Amino acid sequence: MKLALYFTFPYPSRDAFEKFLKRTLPLNYEYVELGIPTEHPYYDGPTVRKTHGKALEEFSMNLLKDTVHMIRRTGKKVYALAYCNLFENDPDGFMSSMKDVGFDGLILPDLLTDYYSMRKDIASSVSSHELELIPFFNSTTPDAAINEILGLTSSWVYFGLQPSTGIRVPLDIPSMYSRIRNICGEREIIVGFGINSAGTVKELRKIGFDGIAVGSAFVNSMENDDQEAFDIEMRMLESETHG
Amino acid sequence: MYKYNHFIPLFMYGVKNKDIIPEQWYNITPDLPEPLSPPRDHDPERSSIDLLNRILPLEVLKQEFTSRRYEKIPEEILRQYEQAGRPTPLIRARNLETLLNFTGKIFYKYEGATVTGSHKINAAIPQAYYAAQEGVMEVATETGAGQWGTATALSASLNGIKSKIFMVNVSFRQKPLRKRIIEIYGGNVVASPSTLTDYGRQILKKEPEHPGTLGIAISEAVQYTLDNNIRYLMGSVENSVITYQSIIGLEAQKQLEIEGEEPDVLIGCVGGGSNFSGFVFPFMKTDVEMIASAASEVPKFSKGKYRYDLIDTAGILPQLKMISLGADYVPPPIYSGGLRYHGAAPALSMLVNSGRIGTDEVTEEKSMEAMQIFARTQGIVPAPESAHAIATAIDYCRNNENQGKTVVLNVSGHGLLDLSIFGD
Ligand SMILES: Cc1ncc(COP(=O)(O)O)c(C=O)c1O
Repeated sequence: MKLALYFTFPYPSRDAFEKFLKRTLPLNYEYVELGIPTEHPYYDGPTVRKTHGKALEEFSMNLLKDTVHMIRRTGKKVYALAYCNLFENDPDGFMSSMKDVGFDGLILPDLLTDYYSMRKDIASSVSSHELELIPFFNSTTPDAAINEILGLTSSWVYFGLQPSTGIRVPLDIPSMYSRIRNICGEREIIVGFGINSAGTVKELRKIGFDGIAVGSAFVNSMENDDQEAFDIEMRMLESETHG
Repeated sequence: MYKYNHFIPLFMYGVKNKDIIPEQWYNITPDLPEPLSPPRDHDPERSSIDLLNRILPLEVLKQEFTSRRYEKIPEEILRQYEQAGRPTPLIRARNLETLLNFTGKIFYKYEGATVTGSHKINAAIPQAYYAAQEGVMEVATETGAGQWGTATALSASLNGIKSKIFMVNVSFRQKPLRKRIIEIYGGNVVASPSTLTDYGRQILKKEPEHPGTLGIAISEAVQYTLDNNIRYLMGSVENSVITYQSIIGLEAQKQLEIEGEEPDVLIGCVGGGSNFSGFVFPFMKTDVEMIASAASEVPKFSKGKYRYDLIDTAGILPQLKMISLGADYVPPPIYSGGLRYHGAAPALSMLVNSGRIGTDEVTEEKSMEAMQIFARTQGIVPAPESAHAIATAIDYCRNNENQGKTVVLNVSGHGLLDLSIFGD
């Protein structure tokens, strides 16, 4: 099973971010998602939400570029996770800077909700800059909207399990999976939002998801500069997905 | 097929209740033309979505975020539905047709025939059942008109648990009989704002005679739920409630099929949107026209905005994207307490915003006229809320362009406990 790690860039500070990221690079995992900080991370729970404030203060385009190149040298793919409100007035300008930074592609969690009417323009702006658009949707996205975004893209897909990051409400995951799998066919499905324990990873793997994305789970150890807790978390994720 | 088939009672065809009551509820979410914008947290420090784990019965919360098109109705709920008067009848309003010189057909689905007198029991039974299954001993809720409180009180008693009902102060004063019946059913009812919650006490301190709003009553019920570690039942607006109410439309579909009829238009009234959405959503795949009727005094369709807004005035629950007049909006004290809500269910709001569902707004005066017309023609005193839908239907049938059409109307409740609308 594949593993994607999410980091709000650069949280908790430029140096600490780099230090923690570097600890993960030798590990066996496939994708890095770098959250571009924003004032209104609507669909994030309180844990990730608080990372955006600090990251906004520390943000630097040059450092982002260096970071993306450093990750790509390890053979991992790296994606920007960005809210559409960051670029609604100038999608082309934003895509061109994301391309310049070196990202493989973008994940836009609010594209199919708050920016639904702009979805085709934004999707074509992404592809005209030779970036991959990773379709992002959740359990309440209608079939027709999922089919359409699959038709506009060719990459893996990101399925948001919980209604928000880092929280857990009870869900009937097997029935969600069978619906999404039916629609997505062979496309690789990475599931994220609210995954924080080995038990959940085992369950998702058994159900049939192709990979998981994790972010909130290690925010606290980064916040507290607790390298040991961070390493334990990472080894757990690596072994549950690749063991 | 048979010219006079409307006079032949269904049982003479061998149709049984269980042929009409569906085995599954319908959830429109996966069939919507656009994605629903998800509930949103608005407090920087905590997650109000996470808090739902402590507010709602788990099974209800699960159904809030489900993508399953059909949800199996548990046997015990089907049994309680039948005991509560389901299926409700679909009746042809021949006398009204005659009065209006209407050459088409008017049918009405009569939710007033349930034991508590409105559609509200459809959503109260499953929520009380799931709460009791999960070991909860008491549930809390708000009520405007009193219909939801009545349904909650009975459903809680049927499932062996207690209920606490926060009733909007104006309704509490306008409708003493409501309080009585809620108590007869085993509920405990208090006027909101109340002294039972911090939020209520704060409001009373500033304004001791505050008329109350549904937004405030919801806030108090939710606060009381959290303070006492019980569970809260939702009367309208939320997706799961709309799913439970789909029983209205699913039954109507079956009944129309038995009658050999296809509707041209579906009409219902909208407070939070539960009876209307439950009635029309199962028909969404057809091209039938749909008209949602609200109160002119609470002009959510003509003056509301489609945006994220609070469900409850205190902001304990997550925000929803919906048509709203603003959570602070204090509606005038019209008699139709059930239509005095500032917002409307997200899926309904989306479909109104996109133009799929048409709207109408009816004044209190016109709705009272419709109440009398319906009473004198069909013999049923409709709830003042339902009378808005009837007024819209009457206008529709009076429009010459609509002659010959088949109109199906949802009469969400009876008004026998609302007669003081005509004076004491
Ligand atoms: C009889 C009746 N009809 C309609 C409503 C409006 O609610 P909703 O729009 O959720 O059906 C109410 C609410 O109290 C009611 O009691």
